Amino acid sequence: VTDVLRRLRYWKESARRSEALREEIELHLAEKAAELQTDGMTAERARAEARRRFGNVGLKHEESREIWMTRFLSELGQDVRYGLRTMTANKAFSALAVLLLALGIGANTAIYSFMESILLRSLPVADPESLVVLNWHSRPPQEGSKQWVIHGLQGMFWPGDKGALVSGIFPYAAMETLGSQNVSSENPVFSTLFGYFNGHNRNLAVRGQAASVSAEYVTGDYFRGLEVSPAAGRLINSEDDRAGAAAVAVISFATSQNRFGGPPNAIGQSILVDNIPFTVIGVTPPEFFGVDPAMAPDLYLPLHTNMLTDGARAARMYGDGNFYWIEMMGRLRPGVSMAQAQAALAPRFRQWVDTTAKTGGERANLPALILNPGAEGLGSLRRQYSKPLYVLLAMVGLILAITCANIANLLLARAAARRREMAVRLSLGAGRFRVVRQLLTESVMLASLGGAFGVLFAIWGVRSLTLLLSNGQENFTLHAELNWKVLGLTAALSVVCGLLFGLAPAIQSTRPDVMPALKNGRGGGPRGRAQHVLVVAQIAVSFLLLVAAGLFVRTLNKLHSVQLGYARENILLFSLNARQAGHRDPEMATFYANLRKRFESIPGVSSATLSQSSIISAGHAGGVYRGAMKIGAVTVAGAGVMAAGPHFLTTMQIPVLAGREIDERDQPGSPPVAVISERLARTYFGNENPLGRRITFVDEKRDLEIVGVSANVRYGGLKQGSPMTVFAAASQFSPEDRVTYALRVAGDPLRYVRSVHEVVREADSRIPVTNVFTQAAEIDRTISREITFSKLCTVFAVLALLIACVGLYGTMSYSVAQQTGEIGIRMAVGAQRGAVVWMVLRRVLLLAAVGLAISVPAALIASRLVKSFLFGTQPNDPGTLALAGVVLLSAAILAGYAPARRASRIDPVAALRQE
Amino acid sequence: MGRKAQKNDSLPGSLDMLILRTLSRRDLHGYGIVQFIQQSSDNELLVEEGSLYPALQRLELNGWIDGAWGVTSNNRRARIYKITAAGRKQLGVETRQYAKLTLAIARVMGAE
Repeated sequence: VTDVLRRLRYWKESARRSEALREEIELHLAEKAAELQTDGMTAERARAEARRRFGNVGLKHEESREIWMTRFLSELGQDVRYGLRTMTANKAFSALAVLLLALGIGANTAIYSFMESILLRSLPVADPESLVVLNWHSRPPQEGSKQWVIHGLQGMFWPGDKGALVSGIFPYAAMETLGSQNVSSENPVFSTLFGYFNGHNRNLAVRGQAASVSAEYVTGDYFRGLEVSPAAGRLINSEDDRAGAAAVAVISFATSQNRFGGPPNAIGQSILVDNIPFTVIGVTPPEFFGVDPAMAPDLYLPLHTNMLTDGARAARMYGDGNFYWIEMMGRLRPGVSMAQAQAALAPRFRQWVDTTAKTGGERANLPALILNPGAEGLGSLRRQYSKPLYVLLAMVGLILAITCANIANLLLARAAARRREMAVRLSLGAGRFRVVRQLLTESVMLASLGGAFGVLFAIWGVRSLTLLLSNGQENFTLHAELNWKVLGLTAALSVVCGLLFGLAPAIQSTRPDVMPALKNGRGGGPRGRAQHVLVVAQIAVSFLLLVAAGLFVRTLNKLHSVQLGYARENILLFSLNARQAGHRDPEMATFYANLRKRFESIPGVSSATLSQSSIISAGHAGGVYRGAMKIGAVTVAGAGVMAAGPHFLTTMQIPVLAGREIDERDQPGSPPVAVISERLARTYFGNENPLGRRITFVDEKRDLEIVGVSANVRYGGLKQGSPMTVFAAASQFSPEDRVTYALRVAGDPLRYVRSVHEVVREADSRIPVTNVFTQAAEIDRTISREITFSKLCTVFAVLALLIACVGLYGTMSYSVAQQTGEIGIRMAVGAQRGAVVWMVLRRVLLLAAVGLAISVPAALIASRLVKSFLFGTQPNDPGTLALAGVVLLSAAILAGYAPARRASRIDPVAALRQE
Repeated sequence: MGRKAQKNDSLPGSLDMLILRTLSRRDLHGYGIVQFIQQSSDNELLVEEGSLYPALQRLELNGWIDGAWGVTSNNRRARIYKITAAGRKQLGVETRQYAKLTLAIARVMGAE
C-alpha cells in the first residue's frame, strides 16, 4: 500500500519532479564542462563535449521521468484489459452485479443529496459563518396556570432539551434593546442586527392579475446585514422601514421574471399587496431565498408596512412587550465568537425581559436568550427532515452493505472456481500482491460501472423523492441536486464498495497454499465458511428492513383506518381570502355567503359550505376562537371550535343526531348558535337534552344557543384529533384569515376546479383561488411523511429481500454443485429424493434461523429509534415481527428450493463417474 | 554507443549496484557519483552519463535511495542522494549475487 501511495504522490508531483530533474542534468553538464575546461578545453568546446558525452539530453530526461509512470500505467492497463475480458466473459454475473450496485449506490446518492441540501448547505450570502440566530428557551407554563410572560404570539415553538420550549420570536422592544444603537456603543458584538417575520400568503396584484404569494417582512438592516446586492434596483434600507415611509417592496428574481418579464422591467412598477399600493424598488439575486431554506419569499416588505397591510392589530404589536412575533439574526463583528456574544447579550435580555413580567409567577419562568449558528439559515427544514433523512440514509446504507456482501459472495463462489488459475499464476512466479491488485481492479471496475449507472438512478430518485415529499404542496422549496460534492461521494462510495467486496475473495483465492489447489482438479477449497457468514449477514439485514417496512405500513394503515366521522371522497376544497383583496366587514360576510350560493348552483355540486379551514387542519390554522368555554359554571376542556357555514354537516356527511345544523337562518345579526358533537353533549349534559342550553365563549363574552347535536368528528389531525367539537356559525364570527370552501360533487372533484375559478373571477377577479385539493388529498397531506416512509421502506425491503434471496440461491447452488459426488453416493446407497431436498433445505433454514437469531434483538433495539414515526403501533409489535419472519423464511425456502430440487435430480451414476 | 570500450555494459544491472555501493560510503549528487565510480575504478569503469539519471529515478522509485536538495562541495544547489535502509539490504543482495556470478565466471574461465 505504501508503494501505491508513493507512486500516487510521485504522479501528483511529476511536474515538479520533472523540473528538478532538468536542473540536475543542467548541473551535471556544467560540472562536466568545468572539469574539461580545467583540462585545457575552451569553454565553448567543453560545453559541447559535455553534452556529447552525456548523450541525448531530452531523451534521457524523458526516459528518467517515465520510469515511474510507465510501469504503473502499463500494469494498470493490463489489469483493466484483463478485467474487461473477465467481465465480458461473465456477462450475466457482471450485469447483475452492476445492476445491484447501481441501485445501491444510486439510492445512497439520492438520499445523500437531500441531506446535503438540507443539513449541510450554507446560505448564499457573503461570509455566512459570522451569522447567528437569536433564540430563547423556557420551561412551558404549568398546565392550567397562565403565569407566563408571553401573553400573545405569532410564530412557532419547537421542543428543546429537557422538555423546554425553544423559539425565535421576540417582542419588538427586545430587538430595540439588543439592537444596533445600543450594541455598537456599549457592547460591540454585532456589526448588524436585523429582524424579520413570516408574512405568509399575501395577495399580489400586478396590472390587475392577482396571485397568492409568500411574503417576508424585514427590517431596514436585513439586506445590509446579509450583505446581499440587488439583481436590479435597490434593496430595502432603514429609511424605508419606518411608520409613514413610502410603501416600497422588493421582489424575488423568479417573481420579477414571472410577473414582469425580467428584473429591469419591475423597477418602479406599482403593485397591490392585499389591495394596498406599493412600489417595486428592487429585485433580489436569483440564488437568494431569504434566511429560511424552507421558505422562498416572493415578496420582501419593510417591517413597518405591516401596519398598512394588517391594520390596527399590527400597530398594537410594536408597543406590546408581552407579544412575541419578530425573529432576529445578527452578524458578529470580526473576532467576536458566538459564545462571547451570548455572554454579552444574555444578561441584557434577561434584564429587559424581567421588566415585562407582571407577576411573581411570570418572573419565576423567564425565557433565556441563546444564540445559534446562522450560517445555514433557520433550522425549520432541518428540524422537520433531519431525523427522517438519517433513518432513510441508514436504510439505504444497509442496502448497499448487503449488495456488497452479495457481490462478495458471488465473487467468492467464482474465486473458488478460479483457484486453479490463480494457483498456476502464483506458482509461475506472479507476486501475490500483483494478483490481488488485478482482482481488485476488476471489482473496482464493476463498482465504478455500478456507480456510473447509479448516478442515472439517483437523478431519477431525487426527482421522484422530491415529488413524494412535496406531495402536492405549492411552492415546495426543498430542492436537492447532484452537485460535485454529491458526485464526489458517489465516486468514493463506488471505489470503497469495489475494494470492500473485492478484498475478501481476492485474498482467499490467492492463499499461498498452492499445492492442494493444483492437485485437486475440481478445486474443493474450504467449505465456504465466508460465504455462509455473508449470507447470514444479508438475511439479518433484510429482516431489519422488513420489520421497518412492516412497522411503517402498519402505521399508515392505522392512520387510514382512523374514524374520521366525515366524508373523505367526492369533496373539493379550496381557499379564498377576500380581506386581502380589500373586502371588509360587514360586507365580507355577505360576499362569502353569496359566493357559497353560486358554488351550490354549479351543475354537479349537490351542496356547498364554508369553514375557517378544512377539518383535518383545524386547530393548526388560526381558529376563530381559542379561549375558554363554559357550560353554566363548568369549564369545557379539550374541545375545538369550528366556524362552519350553512349545510356544513350535510356537505361533510356528518349525521345530525338531534336538532338542526347551521343554515341560512343564522345571520350576523341573529342570535348566535352552536352545534355540538355527541361526545361533548354526553360529557357535559349526560342524559339531559342539550338543545336550547347555552355554551359561553368567555373571552368574547358571548352565549351561544345549542341548536343541534352532531355525530362525533375527528377534529384536527388524524393523530391528535379530538372528538369534542363546537360548530359555530361562520357568519357570526369575522374570519381573520382566509376561508375554506367545501363542495360536495358527483364524480372526480378536480373536474369542478375550472367552474370554481370562473365563479370567483366573476365575483371578484382580484381574489386568487388557493389550496385546491380534494378532501382525500388534504387528509393525506397531513400524513405525507408516513406515506413516504411506508412506500420507500416497502421498496427497500423488497429490494433487500430480493438481494438476499439471490445470495442464498447462489450459495446453495454452489454448494450443491460442490457436493455432487457426495449426493450421488448418498443416492446410490438408497437416499430418497425427498431426503436430499430436505438436506439442502435444512441448511437453508439453518442459515435463515441464524440470521434471524442475530437480527431479532437488533430489530428490537433499532425499531425503538423510529418510535416517533409510528402511530398506533408499538416498535416491538409482535405481529409485525412474526410477519417479517414468516416472509423471510418463505423467501429463503423459495430461494433454496431450486438448488434443492436440482440436487435431488442428480444422477448417481453420472455423478460418480465424474468424480 | 558501442564504441566506448570501458563502458559499463559487461554486467547488465551492475550500474544499480555501483550507485548503491557509492552512496553507501557517502551522500553524493549525480555528477559526484559518476566521478567517484570513475576515480575509484582508476578510470577503468566509465559510467554512461545519460543512463545515470534513469537509474537514479528507478532506485528512488524502489525506495532504495532518497534524493533531497542540498549544496555540493563547491557550493552549488544540487539533489544529493543518500542510501536508505532498504537500499543497504538490496546492496547486500546484489553484492552476494555479484559474488556468485563472478565466482561462477571465474570457475568457467579457470576450467578452460
